[in-house]
Amino acid sequence: MRKTLALALAALLLVSAGGRALAATDLLETGSTLLYPLMNLWVAAYQQGHTDVQITTQGTGSGTGISQAISGVAQIGASDAYMADAQMANSPMLNIPLAISAQQINYNIPGLNNVHLNLSGPVLAGIYSGEIQYWDDAKVKAINKQYASKLPHQQIVPIHRADGSGDTFIFSQYLTFSTPSWKNGPGYGTTISWPSVATAVGATGNPGMVQTCQNTQYSIAYVGVSFLNQTNKAGLGYAALENRAGKFVLPTAETIASAARSLDSKTPSDERISLIFAPGENSYPIINYEYAIVNPKQSDGTKAAELKKFLGWALTDGQNMKFLDAVHFLPLPSSIVAKSKAQIEKIQ
Amino acid sequence: MAAMDLPVRGVARAASPAALQRTGAQSVLRALTGLAALASFMIIFLMLFFLIMYAWPAIRFNGLAFFASPIWNIGNQYGGGTVVRNGFTAQSGAAFGALVFIFGSTVTALLTMVVAVPLSLMVALSLVYRVPRLIRPLANALVELMAGVPSVVYGLWGMVVLVPWIGRVLAPWVTTHLGFIPFLGGAAGSGNGLAASVFILALMVMPIMVATTRDVILAQSNTLFEASMALGSTSWQAMTWTVIPSVRKGVIASILLAFGRALGETMAVLMVCGAAINSFPQNIFSPVNTIAAVIVSQLESALTDASGMAQRSLAELACVLFIITLIVNIIARGIMRGADRAEGR
Repeated sequence: MRKTLALALAALLLVSAGGRALAATDLLETGSTLLYPLMNLWVAAYQQGHTDVQITTQGTGSGTGISQAISGVAQIGASDAYMADAQMANSPMLNIPLAISAQQINYNIPGLNNVHLNLSGPVLAGIYSGEIQYWDDAKVKAINKQYASKLPHQQIVPIHRADGSGDTFIFSQYLTFSTPSWKNGPGYGTTISWPSVATAVGATGNPGMVQTCQNTQYSIAYVGVSFLNQTNKAGLGYAALENRAGKFVLPTAETIASAARSLDSKTPSDERISLIFAPGENSYPIINYEYAIVNPKQSDGTKAAELKKFLGWALTDGQNMKFLDAVHFLPLPSSIVAKSKAQIEKIQ
Repeated sequence: MAAMDLPVRGVARAASPAALQRTGAQSVLRALTGLAALASFMIIFLMLFFLIMYAWPAIRFNGLAFFASPIWNIGNQYGGGTVVRNGFTAQSGAAFGALVFIFGSTVTALLTMVVAVPLSLMVALSLVYRVPRLIRPLANALVELMAGVPSVVYGLWGMVVLVPWIGRVLAPWVTTHLGFIPFLGGAAGSGNGLAASVFILALMVMPIMVATTRDVILAQSNTLFEASMALGSTSWQAMTWTVIPSVRKGVIASILLAFGRALGETMAVLMVCGAAINSFPQNIFSPVNTIAAVIVSQLESALTDASGMAQRSLAELACVLFIITLIVNIIARGIMRGADRAEGR
């Protein structure tokens, strides 16, 4: 008995010693569930050529991403939202865009999931504040004349994120920028005080949003475009959204690129800027930079070096369409890549 | 204390050398157990003390609105402005009202008891008196196994199986056919909500209640049941008139244990409750939120609040949960003492 125990112990020691010898530098990426699918593709590809670093990815929500990057638990906090001025004043972080993403508005209306309904900021604000309760509301019909007779008299179930989320940030920003009553009411943030709607449901993470929307007839949800394959598989419809020019556009590579182009020259050197409700006839209204929130002063020099290497890779090789296409993201324009690279240089 | 003193004195009187040696050990043991007894008080006290210390800015900032308002808003993080109340700062627009969560915690726990208590009593009684001897060990093992399943597993099952079933089958049927009954009509919703939370919680607390109730019935000798049967009562009468009253205290204890668990359960509830915010449930299928669940779901957002007031307010919520649990315990003591007096002890 004692012998086997000793043997087992010795084996354990050997394994751990072996592990130590091979031990790569550990990097932890956590946060946005919208960026998570891309991070997985990136890390898998990056690790093939870089065995000296071990990167772990987690989809936990942008709120977690930001707070764990600040606390130092994670080296990369993934976030769909840039940090607020007040947060930056407390804990100065680098907000480094890695890609351009968008958000789809999904719905589950039996019979209409195979078509694209038109939705606007004011109509969505009406739904999420309880003023528009039924799918056949006059305001919904008015922008969906071709489907007016097909819209059912069923109560809308608005689904929102229960956790701190960059998706909530960009969605509520769209409502804020397009609808004065929302601007003066809930406003925008990674978590907001949702108006009291009896049917409203909170869900956790983008996967939770997709699942709840799929399970709930007549529901509506905002979901990151990187989940387009999942929402299609779940049989959900997605809407064409009204942009600043008053046109209804679907989230496609062109409309997302058009919106990004209209704002890339305005992006400041710290790259904290909203791309929501961008001008342009063909611009999709809910797009955003996907940020890596990084502490410029890393506690560990080796980690800092590996971190810079990985982020640099993400901005060059990582911009390859073979990664981005899979999650329906777009590469950063070259002027933004340059700004992001300049920020990475600040990591110590 | 008196009960503990007796054997020590008894040993001291027997003046053999070995016994004297034992006295030394005894006093060490006494000091250690006394310290342990004190520690349990101190730990509770210190926990509450530090929790209140940490929550103090929120207690001052929120005032009584914390208990009166259903609006929870960590404020406009990107707006830049701040508000100051009673000397403490939060982001502009911040309002921390816990009414929805206090209501949610209490109602889910109470409804869980309404469902779980009669069922658990019946299961415990049948485990003792009805289930054939051959399969009794298996049934007992199953109950214990159920008690040991981690709550997140129940939550996951609830999310994947129960919630879709409630949303697609149960809720639409109940709201259309039984909608005339208060709290059963109205929107069928998504399945996430009060009904799902109560169902999951009942499933989680029942094994605890069944196991403890079964054990107190078994500890009672079989004579009561047999005597009452011999006097001509039916087995139903023997159980309700004789067996249950004789184990009342144990049953109450198990109910309170279960109630405490239902109040504090976090993960499983969070996964099926629909995370309601700013709104009260309209019927049993409406989304709800409990104190425990909201602390988890709002924590990360709170950490991004630059003023820190959102974290402090979550700590205040934790204080409230702590105090509710304390009150439940005190009531429990009272009931037990009442039961003691009724039994003439």
